[in-house]
Amino acid sequence: MDFRLNPEQSLIRQTVRDFAERELAPTAALRDEEERFDRALMFDRLAELGLTGIIFPESCGGAGADYLSYVLTVEELSKVCASTGVTLSAHISLAANPLYLFGTPAQQERFLLPLARGERLGAFALTETAAGSDAGGTRTSAVTDGDHWVLNGNKIFTTNGGEAETYIVFARSDKAAEKHHGISAFIVEKGTPGFTFGRKERKLGIRSSPTLELIFNDCRIPRGHLLGPPGEGFMVAMKTLEGGRIGIAAQALGIAQGAFAAALTYAREREQFGRPIATFEAIQFKFADMALQIEAARLLVYQAAWRADAGLPYGQESAMAKLFASETAVRVANEAVQIHGGYGYLRDYPVERMLRDARITEIYEGTSEIQRLIIGGAVVKG
Amino acid sequence: MKILVCIKQVPDLESRFKIAASGTWYAAEDLAWRLNEYDEYAVEEAVRLREASGEGELVVLSLGPERAGEAIRKALAMGADRGVHLLDPLSHDKDPRQIAGAIAEYARGEKFDVIFTGLQSQDRGSAQVGLLLAGLLALPAVTTIVAFSHEAGLVTVRRELEGGARAVVKVRLPALFTCQLGLNTPRYPTLPNIMKAKKKEVRTIAVTDLPQVAALVRTEKLAFPDKRGAGVVLEGATSEVADRLIAILKEKTTVLK
Repeated sequence: MDFRLNPEQSLIRQTVRDFAERELAPTAALRDEEERFDRALMFDRLAELGLTGIIFPESCGGAGADYLSYVLTVEELSKVCASTGVTLSAHISLAANPLYLFGTPAQQERFLLPLARGERLGAFALTETAAGSDAGGTRTSAVTDGDHWVLNGNKIFTTNGGEAETYIVFARSDKAAEKHHGISAFIVEKGTPGFTFGRKERKLGIRSSPTLELIFNDCRIPRGHLLGPPGEGFMVAMKTLEGGRIGIAAQALGIAQGAFAAALTYAREREQFGRPIATFEAIQFKFADMALQIEAARLLVYQAAWRADAGLPYGQESAMAKLFASETAVRVANEAVQIHGGYGYLRDYPVERMLRDARITEIYEGTSEIQRLIIGGAVVKG
Repeated sequence: MKILVCIKQVPDLESRFKIAASGTWYAAEDLAWRLNEYDEYAVEEAVRLREASGEGELVVLSLGPERAGEAIRKALAMGADRGVHLLDPLSHDKDPRQIAGAIAEYARGEKFDVIFTGLQSQDRGSAQVGLLLAGLLALPAVTTIVAFSHEAGLVTVRRELEGGARAVVKVRLPALFTCQLGLNTPRYPTLPNIMKAKKKEVRTIAVTDLPQVAALVRTEKLAFPDKRGAGVVLEGATSEVADRLIAILKEKTTVLK
């Protein structure tokens, strides 16, 4: 067993860290304040660095790197800007990966290649007002009409919504089927007649990542845009989310470390009672718990990535990684604010933003409750 | 065109340094390592020259312990063609003459047209290895370059002088150049290039297999600087404080000149 990164992984981490600190960090607070997605910085630059298709083979426009490299990338981005972390995670795990896993060669050529190369941005649309954790509640409909599918309905909470060119959309293609049966996945391009955007959500955190509603009103797409087997959309979504959890776990791990580092810097400089507060046992115990939780989260997240690389099942492990890392992010960011005292409550210090950013990781791509259901179910089933 | 770029791996300057038990260098444990900043400019300039010349070869060389291989990998991912690792676990104990000597032993046989080095390393900071290497190879050397252009064997560089002045120097190849901040903006190694660099050749040569060179300089002791006194606090009416501040700035600095 070897816990060290290989030379390529080390170099990827160093490169992304340099990029994040030099280019993302200076504007992270302002972009959050303005709720502004800076595509040139948050996506186009990632494409230039070859990071938009990390895990896909070169033949698909990717870099042929492993899941651990992907984790390291999202982690480093999220240390300074969780919004950029989720932009990339949603692009790779939720939009490009289902095309890689379920797309036909023609679909991969047409849709995966430009996503992996970063020429296009991707998004994933599963959630609806009545279908959150329960994807079986999907009401958006897809009916065939000649050579087309016709989509009707609304999707909400779509990360990268409005900005993305390629959307993976789930809709009920068989009205007779119940619950999670009869749902199919579709590829929908921005600009297709009948496909428009609703409101941009005003969020607690990850405010520089756009979250929009998608509206389908007699939106006609070619029959060839069905992704995966008809009626198997639920399976496509669940397989996609298995990988997505690793990305969000990495994002949470990054947020936790960003908050930890900020708190440590502050505690070493801030003096009270004539000495740096970092020298007080009360503060050191906080750091001990934070460091412990981060290290445990890192091992779970890297292990899930390692299993994905080794071709082993990783659904349960990615659920554990996502659950633990997201709860760690919230706890660590919360303590980081506490260590900052009154200053931690101000927007002048990054921990305030990090605490707000951390909270979503316990909710999206499967709430903590759903992760516990997945883990508990797998444990009991044996 | 055959190009050599010499690089060094140094600790991240954000690290928390401790003096090693030997008392003559810092402790290497618990440090994060990276490519020396000035060497990044050297690598970038070398890659640009390699790309512009189209043919030839760019070799990256580092003398150092096992982990220096990481710095070589980075230079390969930035565009160097192959690597040479002069393996020396005790490189931190070597003086500039010994390091330049080992590099010269390797480089002599290769007949490089251009050699780039950083102006200095961020840890030792002697700024001598490049110059000594040029001396040992009997090459002209131009230090502290901030601009570089090449045409048909003639190189024109700008050198940084004291007080912000610049000198333009023309030199015929072969020659050695030491690179300063401002020369270029180093590229990030892209992920596909990081993956491709894995397949590039890195030849490892133990420095103990090269002719030995005696040290000319020995480090006696390494110490942190004494704590500086608390700064000067100016008190009084704003206009009066401002006048005194201006006077101090004029007297002790160049910012108002």
